[in-house]
Amino acid sequence: MFRLAIEKALNHMINVNGINITRLDSSLVSVYVDDIDLRLFFLCLNSRIFVIENSEQKNTNVDITLNKKAFLALFKGVSFEDLIESEDIEINGSIKTAQQLADLFALSSIDIEELISQYTGDIIAHQLGQTIDRIKGSPSQEKDSFVENLKNEFTTLLIAPSRSKLFKKGRSR
Amino acid sequence: MDKTTHFGFKQVDVEKKQGLVKGVFDSVAGKYDLMNDVMSMGTHRLWKNYTISSSNVSEGDHVLDIAGGTGDLAIKFRKKVGESGKVILSDINGSMLNEGRKNLLNHGIIDVDFVQANAESLPFEDNTFDCVSIAFGLRNVTNKDVALQQMYRVLKKGGTLLILEFSKVENEMLKKIYDLYSFNVIPKFGEFFANDEDSYQYLAESIRKHPDQETLKSMALDAGFGFCEYHNLTGGIVALHKAIKT
Repeated sequence: MFRLAIEKALNHMINVNGINITRLDSSLVSVYVDDIDLRLFFLCLNSRIFVIENSEQKNTNVDITLNKKAFLALFKGVSFEDLIESEDIEINGSIKTAQQLADLFALSSIDIEELISQYTGDIIAHQLGQTIDRIKGSPSQEKDSFVENLKNEFTTLLIAPSRSKLFKKGRSR
Repeated sequence: MDKTTHFGFKQVDVEKKQGLVKGVFDSVAGKYDLMNDVMSMGTHRLWKNYTISSSNVSEGDHVLDIAGGTGDLAIKFRKKVGESGKVILSDINGSMLNEGRKNLLNHGIIDVDFVQANAESLPFEDNTFDCVSIAFGLRNVTNKDVALQQMYRVLKKGGTLLILEFSKVENEMLKKIYDLYSFNVIPKFGEFFANDEDSYQYLAESIRKHPDQETLKSMALDAGFGFCEYHNLTGGIVALHKAIKT
């Protein structure tokens, strides 16, 4: 769900803004956020981005290792130069390719802090907590969006019970 | 040398399986959507929504929906690709294709093409589609390896194959409940709602004979896909495999 959310947001942004990513074509970029042990692989093909696991262990064109603070900063548009100066990031491979991907992060409106909190926290508790917050703070005119939100929460519970404690043993790939 | 394959729990001659599967789908076509809703308690709609959501399909894309049946995925894909895109709904079974045609017309969709085709010999040029999908169809295909190679062939570089299919339940407790439900309740639903217990007995059996998540992933990679990963839905009752042509 985490990777899918980033993938969807990036591709939506690319489509809506008509961004040309052909310069990134066929690139496989690894991003490793070391302090939360989060590894993402960004594959650029056919004018779209896939956020994958790379369980096939294909060779990457660029490897970026950074901490959570620097990862969040990339989505806020902080430049690589600043991050390199503060020694929060390590890049192996083409800095130009890495910068192009980082530019996409910055342009996207991904709420990465929210996604990270879902990744690191108890997802179900987080979702239910959010739903309760919405109930508390929802005036009558927000009834439709509340129903929509509730529908989304139940959808997640129904299609991915493996995220619940009951099925925690089995993890999807 | 006689070659056999499975049809549910039975072993049948390879050349007979296609006809037997045809018999099942000719029989269930008229009640297919109703039965899907009854058997899955509506959850199949969520699985399909998740598939569309994972598809990376955007405006202008070309999509092939194999074993598209009554057209529920095709309807959603058509919305995503817009007027500049193209959706083709294919199915080997004429009765299912007719149901799909009716269903799409009822949704006011007239620009989806219908092609009666065998997944093992797709009548399309190489590198044609941005996305190929097959939902609850692959397990009925006699030679799955050949079908996967065909799907790879017709996809463009960077194209995505989506396979939504029943799979192997991970949790032992859920597995017991699921076995009880699928072998005892589903055939009875089939008898009650569609007057056809045998076809739904086949459904339950064919699910158990279908390759598990890891095996199907290996098969996709063997067919040529550069990457393949899967996501279990509802504890592995269903899995969505997403493979990318590189």
